[in-house]
Amino acid sequence: MKKSPLGLPAFVILLALACAAGAGALQPTERRVIRVTAERFTFTPSEIAVTAGEKIELRLTSDDTAHGFRIEGTDVNVTIPKRGGKELVVAFTAPGPGRYTFECNRMCGAGHDFMRGILVVRAPTDQPATR
Amino acid sequence: MDFHFNKPEGNDGVVDFHRFVLLFNHSFSSRIRFVGELELEHAFVEGLEQAGEVELEQAYLDFLLTRGFNVRAGMLLVPIGIINERHEPPVYNGVERPFVDTVIIPSTWFEAGAGVHGEVGRGLRYRAYVMAPLDATEFSADEGIRGGPQKGSEANVRNVAYTGRLEWVGTRNLTIGVSGWTDKSSFLLRRLGAGVRIGEADVRYRRGRLETRGQLAQVWIRDAGRLNDALARVTGVSPNIARSLRGFYGEAGYRVWADGPARDLVAFTRYENFDTQFRMPEGFLPLQQFDRDAWVSGITYYPDPDIAVKADYTLVRNRSGIIKSPNSVNIGLGWWF
Repeated sequence: MKKSPLGLPAFVILLALACAAGAGALQPTERRVIRVTAERFTFTPSEIAVTAGEKIELRLTSDDTAHGFRIEGTDVNVTIPKRGGKELVVAFTAPGPGRYTFECNRMCGAGHDFMRGILVVRAPTDQPATR
Repeated sequence: MDFHFNKPEGNDGVVDFHRFVLLFNHSFSSRIRFVGELELEHAFVEGLEQAGEVELEQAYLDFLLTRGFNVRAGMLLVPIGIINERHEPPVYNGVERPFVDTVIIPSTWFEAGAGVHGEVGRGLRYRAYVMAPLDATEFSADEGIRGGPQKGSEANVRNVAYTGRLEWVGTRNLTIGVSGWTDKSSFLLRRLGAGVRIGEADVRYRRGRLETRGQLAQVWIRDAGRLNDALARVTGVSPNIARSLRGFYGEAGYRVWADGPARDLVAFTRYENFDTQFRMPEGFLPLQQFDRDAWVSGITYYPDPDIAVKADYTLVRNRSGIIKSPNSVNIGLGWWF
């Protein structure tokens, strides 16, 4: 039997498209992972942009001492372990559109009050969050 | 807390509980906070500074309005350099703070004042304060402006000082800062126009196990010649104050157990160049023993991220052919909680 020369490539392309479509269908239920590093006296990144209703997974680590991590207006209020401790995973659903301050709420040294950042929550119709 | 053993070459070893610091804070609300830092230096106070000091290094109210704009007033740390606002022993290598952060930038430098601070964009921070000025009558040849801070103690504010810092913290493992200060320091010698300007730039960068930092600071003292003459008339000796002081350093450290357990070991070396007689006013010659450089090499062992056991050897040289700067062996223990 003569095989079509386009058979195998066509099959691979179809398979890839099917996988891509499947992945796209799963995407809305997946959590977006955002890594945040705490260090006297900064959070990196200190500005996080998300979309309202988006499922977020924060992975928090410290490069030095234990730091607090609290997002105003949400239930997120945890202590990030000292360097060498486990990565702290916090899952939450982004609240309604707005700007929410997050901060270290555990006294960590002379510049403790500088340890603040902002969670920018956009409405789903706004430009999609890129970070 | 900072506990040291220092053994300068040719001298007896000294054990000193250098700093005992109490930090405390209170939130009146989520928007209004108090921060205080009280420090006992050299463990004992007898009324003379050589025997010890109790210092109110920080005591301010923070009015936290937005991320980009906040107001602060009280006793503040001057926002200059790497060390002054970030001086807990576990955050720097070496038993003693860098020389540049001692004789060029007089850390811990605190003063009464008020100002604004905030962060914009992805990590651009600023601080801008109005503070009490330095007192030029306390400047010296060997330690530059170190004696000048009025420390918020009935500070003369006939003229005020302006200071500020811009800092980029938006890139992981990288911090870049520039800061400055300007004042009129001759309020006790009103016919003079002596004043101080400071320019400073610093960078900290970490990649994997390698940690680096560098800093450059320069101080300009206006009317330094007339200031020397005026002080000589009072004391009988010219203090030989320079019209410019300059210092810089570069440091590299290597983390032996990075990404492992909480304990860690850092081997480091730092080169410093610090000259408190960098440029002299007309008619004055520099004292060469105050044109110095140093190599500080050692280790910092962290049994816990908040405890630092330090050891270093400090090699100091100067340009004088007569007066020698002593080298030293130093061992220290610092902790924070």
